[in-house]
Amino acid sequence: MTTDDDLMARTDGGSTMRRTTLPLAVTAITAAALLLSGCTPQASTGGGGEAAGLDTVKVALVPGGPHPYFQPWIAAADQAKTDFGLGDATFNETAGWDQTKENDVINSLVANGYNAFGVFGVSPTDINSTFQNLKQNGIATAALGSCPAGDTNDADFCLSTDTEAAAYKAAQATIEAMGGSGVLAHLTGVNVDSNTQRRIAGVKKAVEETNGAVTLLPDVTDIDTDITTAQKAVADLLASKGSEITGIVSTAYNPAVAAATAVKESGLPITLVAIDDDETILAAIEDGSVYATIAQNPTGQAYVGSYALAKLASKECTMSDPGAIIDSGSFVVTKENVASYDDERTAASEQLMKDFDADHLACS
Amino acid sequence: MRSRPAVLRWLATPRFVLIAIIVVLVAVLIVLKPSFLNGAFVLAPLITSIAVFTVVGLAQMTVLSIGHMNIAVGQMAAFGAMVSGISFDLLALPLVAGILLGLVAGAAIGALTGWIIARTGVNSFIVTLAMSFALLGLVPTVYSALSTGSAFVVKPEGFDLLGRSSFASVCLAGWCGPAAIPLMVVPVLVVMALIGLLYQRTRYGRELLLTGSNVTAAELSGIPTSRRIVLAHTLSGTLAALAGILLATSIGSFTPSIGDEFMLQSFVGPILGGTLLAGGYVSVVGTFLGITLTLVIRKGLELFGVGIETLNVLLGVILLVALSADRVREIRLRRGRTPDAEEVPA
Repeated sequence: MTTDDDLMARTDGGSTMRRTTLPLAVTAITAAALLLSGCTPQASTGGGGEAAGLDTVKVALVPGGPHPYFQPWIAAADQAKTDFGLGDATFNETAGWDQTKENDVINSLVANGYNAFGVFGVSPTDINSTFQNLKQNGIATAALGSCPAGDTNDADFCLSTDTEAAAYKAAQATIEAMGGSGVLAHLTGVNVDSNTQRRIAGVKKAVEETNGAVTLLPDVTDIDTDITTAQKAVADLLASKGSEITGIVSTAYNPAVAAATAVKESGLPITLVAIDDDETILAAIEDGSVYATIAQNPTGQAYVGSYALAKLASKECTMSDPGAIIDSGSFVVTKENVASYDDERTAASEQLMKDFDADHLACS
Repeated sequence: MRSRPAVLRWLATPRFVLIAIIVVLVAVLIVLKPSFLNGAFVLAPLITSIAVFTVVGLAQMTVLSIGHMNIAVGQMAAFGAMVSGISFDLLALPLVAGILLGLVAGAAIGALTGWIIARTGVNSFIVTLAMSFALLGLVPTVYSALSTGSAFVVKPEGFDLLGRSSFASVCLAGWCGPAAIPLMVVPVLVVMALIGLLYQRTRYGRELLLTGSNVTAAELSGIPTSRRIVLAHTLSGTLAALAGILLATSIGSFTPSIGDEFMLQSFVGPILGGTLLAGGYVSVVGTFLGITLTLVIRKGLELFGVGIETLNVLLGVILLVALSADRVREIRLRRGRTPDAEEVPA
């Protein structure tokens, strides 16, 4: 009885103090916020400024979350810091594939003095808002590895694999190895990512060019979150349609690694073209169980991207074509060139640097 | 004990403890990381997050007030936001009309949940868990069917003003407001005040609390408890939808991932703030303070560059401490020794 009476006591009457808690709290919050921030004259907005040295530039490379694809960015950022004499270059993958968290990470880095950002946006439809916010405050921005969705890129530039072209190349290589006919399966990443939509379009284009000789199974999407998810999806696919599939093209990292192992273990006569140059895939190309892979250029994205960002953040240069979309390159790797493709990729990165100096950057 | 002065009683409440911790924490952060005072990049995003998550906390608090819980709070947010997104993207509705439609959708899904619970008598955990799974499938399917790239990106006039502008864009006589305070705080303060008034000043609020503290006693007192259960879940759905819409305006578009992060925070805020899991007692200000504490800690760790794993571990620990504190409070309450025992909720 005591319990109920006590509980109910809190539903009636009340002290003056409690009645004023809410307005008091609201007033206190408002006052505290005003004290902390203060008002500003209407004209005092940022922008402009004299050119400064590259040692004043602190570059932050922010991927959407942890993923093996971004690991080369770490070494590339360190290399860029040394080679270009940057104030700092950091890599932060704590966004956890959440756009709000990625924005929080970026904001905290700005507060810590970082003034140039290479970002792989989690949400391609929202990342332009983040770039606008940074640019309004005079911060150099680059979309690295993934361009914003739609026709507009609000970052200073986007340096990324042309995903549709890479997927088209991969599908073409698969169809060629299949002998020009058969049934093709496409494994890929997050369906809501505009890059995935571009990859789907690239594969579809290559299949359409066969005039019906190749049948494309429904795309298997959303299996790039981790290797376990990818392994399960590939196992399910091989169990249900393994006997009719003649080729698999994977345009995402984890499914490619999973498919390389699964196809080899199953012994099915399936031609596999993968993406990226994971050691498992390269070993599988060497032993013939994977026909080819499409290597991307994450090192070039981070290294050349850091260089261009430093030039922009130091106000030494501006973009000739703000918002330019630049292909960081994709490379077909087969048994023939598995030992030498990295030279081709290094040469492509060097050419990218030259292109930035000659065409993309307008320097004083 | 009953005769303790009001000030002493208030000093012993969870709210005062939270305020003290927040003040100390902020002072430490300012000393160790002066960049904490950066208006545009630290304070404004922090206050925006506090605003959004306070509404999320209130959405959970309204069902906690009747001793229920809403596991689907994140998915209801996604559902309400999706309806608003559709109304902007496909129906070209103006901002206010689109937001209202989203709120109505949230209210409807909340009311449906409440009705199922009231009619079947099944535990709210089970029903909202089932609702969460249903919406988890429905929302991405609708996005895939009705949008390209699974996002509604059309922004009506005022969309960015609500979600991404600060008082710096409000200028009078040559002076503009602080860049650290987002405009979003205005609607959130209004919502806080309305919910506070509901529980503090209206019969409905008192009946909700009575239903939460003892449903049998409430029924014997002539309170239509089934309707109050539906009311609490309707409010929860509406507030969840509002939080989803506010989050969408702050990130820039409507996507199926809205609300993914809501569930844990929705419990942490109210429980830290003194709301009882068992029902019968709520605190709007406490919810706000609970949310503020967790987000200030999070922001501090971010400024020190601490990884996401540590953030999650810390959030889990905070929830564990909060739940333990809730249990201790409940025991004290049943013995009539809680500092809040003679107070009305705010």
